[in-house]
Amino acid sequence: MSAARHTDNDGPAALVIEFKNVGKIYKSLLGNSVKAVEEFSLVVGDGEILGIAGPNGAGKTTLIAMLLGYLKPTTGSVEIDGMSARQYVERNGIGYLSELVAIPPKWRAETALTRYAILSGLSDADLPARVRYVIDLLGLEEHRDKKVKALSKGILQRLGLAQALLRDEKLLVLDEPTHGLDPLWTQRFRDIVDSLRRPDRTILIASHNLDELQRLADRVAIIDRGRLQRVVSTSYEHAPPALTRFRIAVAAGRDQVRTVFPDAVEAGRDEFDVTVHSIQQLNAGLYELIANGVLVASVMPERSALEQQFREAVGETQ
Amino acid sequence: MTGARLGKYSLWQFRDFAIERGLAILIIGALWGFVILEPAHRGMGPQWRGDQTSPFWVIALQLAATIVSLSVLIALNGITSTDRKSGYYRFIFSKPVSPVLYYAQLFFVHMAGVLLSMAILAAGMRVLFPVFSIKWFVVYTAIIYIAMGGIGFFLSVATRYDWLTLAAVWLGSRILRAVYGIGDDWRSKAVQLLPPVHRLDQVANSLIERGTAPAGDVVWLLGYGLVFFVVGLVILRKGSLAD
Repeated sequence: MSAARHTDNDGPAALVIEFKNVGKIYKSLLGNSVKAVEEFSLVVGDGEILGIAGPNGAGKTTLIAMLLGYLKPTTGSVEIDGMSARQYVERNGIGYLSELVAIPPKWRAETALTRYAILSGLSDADLPARVRYVIDLLGLEEHRDKKVKALSKGILQRLGLAQALLRDEKLLVLDEPTHGLDPLWTQRFRDIVDSLRRPDRTILIASHNLDELQRLADRVAIIDRGRLQRVVSTSYEHAPPALTRFRIAVAAGRDQVRTVFPDAVEAGRDEFDVTVHSIQQLNAGLYELIANGVLVASVMPERSALEQQFREAVGETQ
Repeated sequence: MTGARLGKYSLWQFRDFAIERGLAILIIGALWGFVILEPAHRGMGPQWRGDQTSPFWVIALQLAATIVSLSVLIALNGITSTDRKSGYYRFIFSKPVSPVLYYAQLFFVHMAGVLLSMAILAAGMRVLFPVFSIKWFVVYTAIIYIAMGGIGFFLSVATRYDWLTLAAVWLGSRILRAVYGIGDDWRSKAVQLLPPVHRLDQVANSLIERGTAPAGDVVWLLGYGLVFFVVGLVILRKGSLAD
């Protein structure tokens, strides 16, 4: 856990993004309407990495479109640094990776980055070095001359991320950033995001991948059916008591496990599922196991705290 | 975003125009002109007259005016709606770029491309008609681009099917004005609100032939197009980029 992370008690250092009672209703020509977002209020502070999680159709993408000023809220407002979202973006720009990476297929990878760099406002002096930097950072060297239509899903995703990092933006918005990335690049992406953490930078990540949000975000806003259900801190310090079931793998001393955890259920070779009432009980048990000569290989929660909260928030407690 | 950076991006916009549209305009214009005029030129041999007294002069004028209209359609097709439909707007406008300035610039970059294309085609026309004025043909193109392109720009902002709608509006106006244009009933008054397409032929003939055009007609055409262009920009400013 990074020391820079906020806890629930810290509060944001300075106001950066404020969703004020935001609602969005889509209306069709025939008069049908769909509420995509309802009464959404949230403040995101400087230096924070906020995750946005929700099932399909929860309203995440609509929320992000309003944050970039691509959509206007039907009710309420979205403000960034006291300005309307669109006004902020037009003045300052945002590092944005959309869920669907849409770049004209005939553009070549490096050309695309050069174009976006010009639009980002990079000077002629800085532009080549910055383009080279993101190409290296995202491992696009061998693809730089390829047309966008020739790129695989994963490479295209990396190109999308590269264009988001062209300028040293204060605000990054990443929508399903690891979608289509292989495990190696998923890990690399996490390292990149971790390296982007800065006291004066705010990062929003919308993702289905709760494990990813658990690792990267300080807080996670869980939304469902257009409403903010809850905001969860990813700090284990605030892990809820619901975190009760763990899988323990042992490399030696497996016979000792049931003496410490009488209810442990064998879950495979050298693996046991144990139920505890608190993290303190788990730690005490592990201490006893180790003291008894057991070699503990790994301890994994059956569900992360975030996953548990997510299931509760969206109405699936099982 | 400084104006200078967006200005620099106009070179890329012009490059896109040249590759995706300009080339098509030149090929269609040249082939069309060749197919219609060259057989007559070859058939008449030494009797061919390359001035206004030629029986083919009127055909050449009609052809030139039609190619201008077609070029404007090609130039305006999807000028804003393609970015919206394909989602290209997402990365472009996450940068410090105003959609109003971006698309206004794109409109005029395309205009420059159309004018250049028409100048090249007019130079070709002068092989058959040495009296054909490149300068006045380009001026005529500029007027039509503003008049027709302004409406096309508005339709591209407001609808997804701009090319089709613009063609329908343009041709529909011609038909309705031809049918109801003369008269004093409500339909005759109503068609006066349609695009002033009935003034095109007059402007084309007098401008290309004599280098002059009725000021009222020119102002009406330009004013009509500019109003729609500005309305399009206002919708871009006030409306949503995403569908």
